[in-house]
Amino acid sequence: MATFQRHRLTPWLLLSPQLAIVAIFFFWPAAQAVFQAFYVEDPFGLGRTFVAFENFTRLFGSAEYYRALGITITFSISVALGAMALALLLAVLADRVIKGANGYKTLLIWPYAVAPAVAGVLWVFMLDPELGLISAWLGAVGIDWNHQLNGGQAMALVIMASIWKQMSYNFVFFLAGLQAIPRSLLEAAAMDNAGPWRRFWTITFPLLSPTSFFLLVMNSVYAFFETFGTIDATTAGGPGGATRTLVYKVYEDGFIGYDLGSSAAQSVLLMLLVGLLTLLQFRYLESKVQY
Amino acid sequence: MATLSLDALSKTYPNGVTALHGVDLTIDDGELIVVVGPSGCGKSTLLRMLAGLESISSGELAIDGRRVNDLEPAERDIAMVFQNYALYPHMSVADNMGYALKNQGVPRAERRRKVEETARLIGLEDLLDRRPKQLSGGQRQRVAMGRAIVREPKVFLFDEPLSNLDAKLRVQMRIEIRRLQKRLGVTAVYVTHDQVEAMTLADRLVVMNGGHIEQVGTPMHLYDQPASRFVASFIGSPSMNFIEARHADGVLTLPCGTHLPLRDGASTESGDAVCLGVRPEHLVQVGQGDDTTLTTQVELVEPLGADTLAHVRLDGQAELLVARLNGAQQIAEGDRLYLRPDPERLHLFDPQEGHSLAAPETVS
Repeated sequence: MATFQRHRLTPWLLLSPQLAIVAIFFFWPAAQAVFQAFYVEDPFGLGRTFVAFENFTRLFGSAEYYRALGITITFSISVALGAMALALLLAVLADRVIKGANGYKTLLIWPYAVAPAVAGVLWVFMLDPELGLISAWLGAVGIDWNHQLNGGQAMALVIMASIWKQMSYNFVFFLAGLQAIPRSLLEAAAMDNAGPWRRFWTITFPLLSPTSFFLLVMNSVYAFFETFGTIDATTAGGPGGATRTLVYKVYEDGFIGYDLGSSAAQSVLLMLLVGLLTLLQFRYLESKVQY
Repeated sequence: MATLSLDALSKTYPNGVTALHGVDLTIDDGELIVVVGPSGCGKSTLLRMLAGLESISSGELAIDGRRVNDLEPAERDIAMVFQNYALYPHMSVADNMGYALKNQGVPRAERRRKVEETARLIGLEDLLDRRPKQLSGGQRQRVAMGRAIVREPKVFLFDEPLSNLDAKLRVQMRIEIRRLQKRLGVTAVYVTHDQVEAMTLADRLVVMNGGHIEQVGTPMHLYDQPASRFVASFIGSPSMNFIEARHADGVLTLPCGTHLPLRDGASTESGDAVCLGVRPEHLVQVGQGDDTTLTTQVELVEPLGADTLAHVRLDGQAELLVARLNGAQQIAEGDRLYLRPDPERLHLFDPQEGHSLAAPETVS
């Protein structure tokens, strides 16, 4: 212990680059947001007035805000569950492949390396009402696709693009989780009269629950925050606010509407909301996934 | 309760490696067969083929006279105890044991009764609500056994079930397995690489080597009349000693000059080179050397209590011989030791092929 006592400064020095990054890019902006949430500022930043909780009370009285909240909940649940379900399906299939397994895995992981905006543009092109390949096919089967006019279709588009983007991440974890399940457990289950379907739901799926729980937390955070780029590149919150999620509204009100105070208040609320959600997940789900 | 018949059972993997070259074996109802051999001899593959976890490349497997080659594991009515127990970690002991019954659609009340009955039989009644990670190694082993017993299968398969236990527990569980198997009267196939386990458990032993069956028989039969040098060295501990010798007119001459009388019926011609096998317990210490004794020098002493193992050097012999002597014997490294091989317990093997040169009628 004596040697450690003498080097009290060294651990902090070693930590300092990481701490500096976190302080500059997270704590400072977060503190700024909290601070700003209590002010009304003019668009050019020349003056500000302290308004206490007025930014918040205005939000709680705004139908627009509740609409964005509703959209965010629909969007997040769809993205998190969709991305996890599809990734699990693909992981189970990839786990069975023997020939060319690495090739399939690489292909399935690829979308994660694509920038959100690029992924968004990709989907916009495929589903463009005039030029899109997929929208042409949909037209051929009688579905009139136009996400620029139809809010429901716009929602479907951002959900698909976001799922596609996140699936690879989930796939990696599910595949690792599947490979960590001892073969002998599934063999024992096969001898215990469990068919493949039953084996999956009574052995594999419960044993994957720690992975699923981790992914649920990560996917919720992803759906709430990190889908901004995808939404911005595809629908930009439209049409008529049909895909304006909370995080998109923060951006719109702050950087397009220049209502910095309200934007800051919204980001504070969003932070609290996700914090609360994560807390609830840990509180009520984590105890169930341990075995 | 079932008979198993294996007819020219072979396994060739897709990559061309052949793990099993045509195994023939008939297993009687209620018999405990132990399959023993070094790692890579194909014993685990054989067991997994019986279980249905590996496909059968050629040959036929029948349970009670019915061909089961293409049946799924579940349809064969076989239970297996895995080396790592393969307990379902997210289920309680009771659920682990009742899993197969649940899958078979056995009603809850009956399932519960059967699980509790089995738990009493193997002393698990207080642990039914625990999870596998809350159990010790021996208890897990018991649960794995219980899970097999509760199903009342036709055949039990054991894949090195005791290899993860400490030595004392292993002996205890060995006795328990034997007792349970006799009491339940179930046909069982038990795979191990531990020859002591094999000897003590088996009704009949199957010694495997390189994907072949070397010999099948009762443990004592294999001990007394090994069909090959491989079986002779595998069965018995410490291993049999081998000495190169030459046969001349009914007398074996060893490189050190010792002469030993040849037993009747050995299939060897005068002038042949042979490989002489003597077990450590069949080397008797004598006070005076003559031309029927081996004159040796003690290089290492291993006192075991009741017995003492003496590793001794025989002139002109590269490998040390081992002799099992009375534990009361005071011997030390460097001592001169006169050892007389018991002439009734000598084994002769072909020096190249390794098969036994004993008279055919004594081998059968």
